[in-house]
Amino acid sequence: MSEEVENADEEFEPKIVGLLCNWCSYAGADLAGTSRIQYPPNIRVIRVMCSGSVDPVYINRALLDGADAILIGGCHPGDCHYIDGNYKARRKMALLKNILTTLGMEPDRIWLKWISASEGQEFADTVQEIVEETKKMGPNPMKERWNL
Amino acid sequence: MESLRGVKMIYELKVEEDAPMTVNNFLKELLTEGEVDAVIAMTETPSGKSAFPTMISHPEKLSTNVFAPLLPVSTGTVVSKVTKVKPPKKTLAVVLRSCELRALTELVKLNQADLENIILIGVDCSGTLSMDTYQGQDQDITEAVLKNESEDDLRTACLNCKDPVPKNADLVIGTFGADTDKNLFLDAKTEKGAEIVSALGMDESEGEEVREKAVQDIRDEKEENRKAFIQERSEIEGPDKLLEFFDTCVNCHNCMKVCPVCYCNECIFESSIFDLEGDKYMKKVEGKGAYKTPTDSLLFQLTRFNHMMLSCVGCGLCEQACPSDIPLMDVITGLADNAQELFEYEPGDDPEEELPLVVYREEEFEDVEER
Repeated sequence: MSEEVENADEEFEPKIVGLLCNWCSYAGADLAGTSRIQYPPNIRVIRVMCSGSVDPVYINRALLDGADAILIGGCHPGDCHYIDGNYKARRKMALLKNILTTLGMEPDRIWLKWISASEGQEFADTVQEIVEETKKMGPNPMKERWNL
Repeated sequence: MESLRGVKMIYELKVEEDAPMTVNNFLKELLTEGEVDAVIAMTETPSGKSAFPTMISHPEKLSTNVFAPLLPVSTGTVVSKVTKVKPPKKTLAVVLRSCELRALTELVKLNQADLENIILIGVDCSGTLSMDTYQGQDQDITEAVLKNESEDDLRTACLNCKDPVPKNADLVIGTFGADTDKNLFLDAKTEKGAEIVSALGMDESEGEEVREKAVQDIRDEKEENRKAFIQERSEIEGPDKLLEFFDTCVNCHNCMKVCPVCYCNECIFESSIFDLEGDKYMKKVEGKGAYKTPTDSLLFQLTRFNHMMLSCVGCGLCEQACPSDIPLMDVITGLADNAQELFEYEPGDDPEEELPLVVYREEEFEDVEER
């Protein structure tokens, strides 16, 4: 039985959508690449201008389309290129997670992380962590739903 | 805003014919005495099938029934329409129920309404009926609802009202604690309101304590209702139940259109952003193998929840507008309460308080970063 579960885990490769801010996290991801730091290829990165510009509609859409995890990456608090976009992003994510919790819709698939332009290793570690945690959660059940 | 600037004066309106006529006469006095240049107040339509907020400037055209138990539209939306581009130079008095006032306060925060030269007259709300129920009733329905004799007919939103007593009005017409056959309260909440009543020379009421107790009682009752309702409906949870709940949604967006606090000038779901090339749809279908059309019904609802929940005033217009009779308040009541509790925000409560998503503190919600 435990062997079967392990095998199933091995087969499941989560798909992660990464919404990374132009000024910090995207550059951090870039640094991970140029520094040849190895990280799992499960993440699909989308560059956004600011974590504060990420409307819940984008996250909800990824969730309903079956993304197994979504990473919103922004500048560290105090470092936002637009002064306070990341603080506002945090509020939006708190609300989104609150709503998903009330609805019983797996808020843990959403990750908010602060990764600076110099933190290539931090980016790689974050992706690694998300992949591991998401594998424990299993695939997003919305993947099988056609009647949304 | 209660007792703000030390103003707290309760006056009495003696009921002559009936409660609606008494308020109508009061509004007439406001117009004839030149205190205001026009009013907006609920008025029954000639067919008797409906009632709408109506703008009236000629005293002889006043045939209002501010107690008509119907909410065809939020008067908050109406005030937004009238004042958004530029508020009037002349004085306009508007009669609103508590949920409409809450919505209006939110709209002011959203810069979608301007209260310059507007006098807000709140009215205690005993609840409203669905359009169907209202149409099927005889003429006495106003009185029946006013005297709490039709409680079973009230809309879900009204049974579980957040607060039926108006806040942030200049004047409040009070029925709670009054024998509506004999008298109504007129509560001056601001200097503007006090000026008006003193200009009209009204009698002070001695029923202040009775009213305060009645107000507390009804607030307690509604809060209890609301809690029990949320508890009862908390089982609508998880993808299965949620999809079943929204199964009959036809994606018409009526709920968004009638919502008094849905603030975007153009809704993203009405924009062309989701209009894709045929090939994109073909690629999308490869992902899951099948999808229901029109697409994105649940995405629309989920996103609307995220945009609206902190400002949701609980009017239930969304539920009333649903052509598929989806009991939206079953889900929204609990969602709104949870979200508002998280941000310690009460929509419509304090006009000076900023909307939660436009402000922040440096240290807060750190648990969100944990995961």
